[in-house]
Amino acid sequence: MKVSIDWLEEHIDLSNYNDSEISDLLTFSGIEVEGIIKYPDKVIVAEIAKIEKHPNADKLQVCQVNDGEKTSRQIVCGAKNFSIGDKVPLALPGASMMGGFEIKEAKLRGVESKGMLCSQAELGGHDSDGLWILPSEYETGKPLNKIYPTVFDLEITPNRPDCLSHIGVARELAAVCKKSLKNNKNYEANSDSLIQSKTEDIYIEDSKLCPLYTLRKIENVKIGPSPQWLQSKLESIGLRPINNVVDITNYVMMEMGQPLHAFDSGKIAGSIKVRKAKQKEIFKALDDNEYELQPDDLVISDKNEALALAGIMGGANSGVTENTQAVFIESAHFNQSEIRKSSKRLNLSSDSSYRFERGTDPAQVIKASAIATHLIEELADGKTNDEIIICGNINFPSRNIPMRLDKCRKILGCNIENEKMTDILGNLGIKAQSHEEGTTQWSIPSFRNDLTRPEDLYEEIARILGIEKIPSIQRGWFSEPSDADKLHDFVDHLSNKLSSIGFHETRSLKLISKSQIGDCFCCLNDNAIALKNPLSDDLTHLRPGLIASLLSIAERNIHQGAEALRLYESGTVFAENNEIEEFQNIALLISGPQNRSWLSKNPPAPDFFSLSGMIERLIGENIIFSPSESNTENTIINCEIILKNSTVGKAAQLSPAKTRKMDATFPIYIAELNLAKIMEKISIMDKFTELPKFPAIRRDISMELPLEITNNKIISTLNEIDLDILESFELFDYFHDESGEKLNSEKKSLAYSLTYRNDKRTLKSEEVDKAHQEVLKELKKNLDVNFR
Amino acid sequence: MLEQLQTILKEATSEISKANSLDELNSLRVSYLGKKGHLTLASSKMKDLSKEERPLAGKKLNETRSSITQNLEEKINALQLIEDNKQDKSLDVTLPSDPIASNGRHPVSQMLDSTIKALRRMGFSLASGPEIETEWHCFDALNTPKDHPARNETDTFYFEDGRLLRTHTSTVQIRTMEKCNPPVRIIAPGSAYRRDEIDATHLSQFNQLEGLYVDRDVSLADLKGTLEYLLQCIFGKETPIRFRPHFFPFTEPSFEIDILLEAEGKKSKWIEIAGCGMVDPDVFSEICKARGDDYYSPNQVSGFAFGLGLERLAMIKWGISDIRLLIENDVRFLKQFS
Repeated sequence: MKVSIDWLEEHIDLSNYNDSEISDLLTFSGIEVEGIIKYPDKVIVAEIAKIEKHPNADKLQVCQVNDGEKTSRQIVCGAKNFSIGDKVPLALPGASMMGGFEIKEAKLRGVESKGMLCSQAELGGHDSDGLWILPSEYETGKPLNKIYPTVFDLEITPNRPDCLSHIGVARELAAVCKKSLKNNKNYEANSDSLIQSKTEDIYIEDSKLCPLYTLRKIENVKIGPSPQWLQSKLESIGLRPINNVVDITNYVMMEMGQPLHAFDSGKIAGSIKVRKAKQKEIFKALDDNEYELQPDDLVISDKNEALALAGIMGGANSGVTENTQAVFIESAHFNQSEIRKSSKRLNLSSDSSYRFERGTDPAQVIKASAIATHLIEELADGKTNDEIIICGNINFPSRNIPMRLDKCRKILGCNIENEKMTDILGNLGIKAQSHEEGTTQWSIPSFRNDLTRPEDLYEEIARILGIEKIPSIQRGWFSEPSDADKLHDFVDHLSNKLSSIGFHETRSLKLISKSQIGDCFCCLNDNAIALKNPLSDDLTHLRPGLIASLLSIAERNIHQGAEALRLYESGTVFAENNEIEEFQNIALLISGPQNRSWLSKNPPAPDFFSLSGMIERLIGENIIFSPSESNTENTIINCEIILKNSTVGKAAQLSPAKTRKMDATFPIYIAELNLAKIMEKISIMDKFTELPKFPAIRRDISMELPLEITNNKIISTLNEIDLDILESFELFDYFHDESGEKLNSEKKSLAYSLTYRNDKRTLKSEEVDKAHQEVLKELKKNLDVNFR
Repeated sequence: MLEQLQTILKEATSEISKANSLDELNSLRVSYLGKKGHLTLASSKMKDLSKEERPLAGKKLNETRSSITQNLEEKINALQLIEDNKQDKSLDVTLPSDPIASNGRHPVSQMLDSTIKALRRMGFSLASGPEIETEWHCFDALNTPKDHPARNETDTFYFEDGRLLRTHTSTVQIRTMEKCNPPVRIIAPGSAYRRDEIDATHLSQFNQLEGLYVDRDVSLADLKGTLEYLLQCIFGKETPIRFRPHFFPFTEPSFEIDILLEAEGKKSKWIEIAGCGMVDPDVFSEICKARGDDYYSPNQVSGFAFGLGLERLAMIKWGISDIRLLIENDVRFLKQFS
């Protein structure tokens, strides 16, 4: 439902709050603000002074407009629905429009235009047909947001039909900001002095379906347009003005939440009957559609036919027209589920049915009728006496709910004082009546039919108090996950990955012999720590790395005939630098072909790139293997594993001599990584990347380079090329001939596939050619390269 | 004999020095030292020699054997060294690895897993219930009015026998309280179904995670503490969370929970991710009626319940703008979550 701030301010003083504060007040009281509609700054009322044809465009016109300044302003405009003297909205340069674009001075087909004349839709309204012609009495130059107030679009939950009106929303705001409502002049229309005549003129067939029905006759009405204040009030909340009487019924509904209906009394024959529809009774509604009714539907009828579908929509034949002389104003109370059923079945809903099916306040029926009557007298020259025709019960006994304040405290888990709770309820119109043994009887206002149980009152207290006043408790003691938890989970994660690609976990002793220290290749630490009183010569030192254990395990397994080895171990390693330190590491060892079977008799043995692939699988594709020196002759292809500029581990191949010494047939690759360093640097995907919507174009590069230029060097050269459309590149061929027969043995040949893509459109082949030439140029400039 | 040994040694030395592969050396070893090798054949002539000649010949024979062996080994080592060096020099370790496809779990499963882990740590256990449900479990027991729009055939999938596909996992609250005595502290992940047209923000089958805690004196403060902790586990400690009063038939008071979504280049926005509240006493009364006892009497116990939309959580966590990506299973999409 839409409510306007100005309208709310007729009931409550909100001058201390800005729009977003009011929005928060509403949202946190349970009325979610789904949108704030506000005309942008720098949109003003302008008057058309002159219209000429655009010299260069048939569809455009050049207008001179009066914007309230002395000189006139020239605007080029595409609409045609206006003439000289019309007032229209003008967005000045600098105005920031819906969709985020800003109005700028511009030349349109060679003619200068200093702003934009707007349609209603361009300003957030519905009507997109031509310019929005404003009422002529609007002051030229006045900002539109000074004429049309800020409007909130509210989501009212189904339990709060009382908030489907400005007075209802104002009541909520008054309760949350502890203010009282203003005395509103409209409410002075006194309903107490009405003569309430119970009459034979109205017959209610089933008082369960319609407990109360009233009519007020107003004669001598002059049907015409509503005054401007009323029209803009309705327009501001998205209602289209129709005529003064209909506008007044709509106004009262939006004001008080009580739907009203106006009948042309001249079109009613005989007495009024609130009855169930006949089987297959045809009803022509105000929307000009015919509906086939069933006995489940409730209608208002005269002696001839149905005049209205009760609470949902009036009939086409009994509505107010410009010829209407006298009207009946209907104000009634209907059973909510009957209205809901009919509305649903007929697929016909209206502002009226929306309110009735959620529940209206019967205590408002007569008051609403009185206010509408008063306005019709004032705005449509209507004449009436003090008689209101009433059928049904108008005694509404007050309702009480028993509730214990201490129980409320317990349920909310919050130590709130009795006085505070009483105040909150009091501001909502809920007053303590009597008190007995800790239980208080609370009287509930007639408009709050949703409140029936103590729990409903707990909710009232919780939402007005604000959830931030409720403490946060976690039941059952549990500790925050620690660094140890994180490490455990991380090792668990790595272990799952490793076991899924064929690794065995090993567990070995942390004490090793002095000779094994030399076998801790890829070790990240230098100094092993010796025991003072070792039990035996085999177990003298704490391991500084994990590889020595993995190698002895590998050797044992090789001697037992094992061929394929995929081993990893994780655990503590020890070193003495300035002080004794402990680290958590993980080490891998791979050798020999896996998956040998009757299907695959000679699977390839793993090489260095198998190892690097496995490590990438473990910690991500953004790691770099960087060649390094080794201080032992027992390893070759030594390299450091680098993650985001930090060395997190080492990898190597055992030298052939060392491999032979272990009697291994296949090369052995090893790596050791520090878990803490990886956890610190590893990246977790933050946001996903949209899948490309436009096709890519690929181009290949094949080149000859000296052996010593690494792939890394080529990649960093490609990465430095500043080309938005170069999306990725991939090595797809490598060739080197040791013998030098097919290619100089000091050279190698590499081929990369480059992917070009633009996220916003399909690339043209020429622009890719151009970009590709740029890439070739940069490679040539930076590297000693020959393209093939 | 001695001359013969001399010749063998000379020839062997010359052939070994000429050899330039390990294979050649191996065959040389066989042809000189093997069972039918030159040296073995020569030694067989020992028996023809006289007693006096034998010691000298034997000594010479041994000397020759060890000379050849030594020559062979030296040559093998030399060749091995050349071979070993070759290997080291030519490898560029920065070449791309031999990749192992690293694919894995769907983002919704990952989200579910982390949610379950956090809640289990808080003492919740998993519970489940059928997806084909009775109207009583889905609506009546949850205090939903007979004419509530959610019951319409336009909104809910029904079967001929009157049963339906559950529209929320809140049915598991009822299933659990029917068979377990309080206290209960359970979570129930699972599918829910609504007759919504599939678009960028709606699926007709989606995943929820239900939570229920019933005990003596469970309060709104417990609910707040639990959900704040859970959401911070998923989205990080600093994530702003707000509770907004709302309305559900089966909780009172009820709240919706929003978190502030910050996407790059866009205005930050509050996004609704969960509904929660204190179990409505009418739900407890209905359970008491169904069980025929008063274990769940609203005078005895209180409780809180919550429901999270797992797709919604995944979409917020990873900035996924279109929910359909979660069921299309495009491998380029799935790959990003491995």
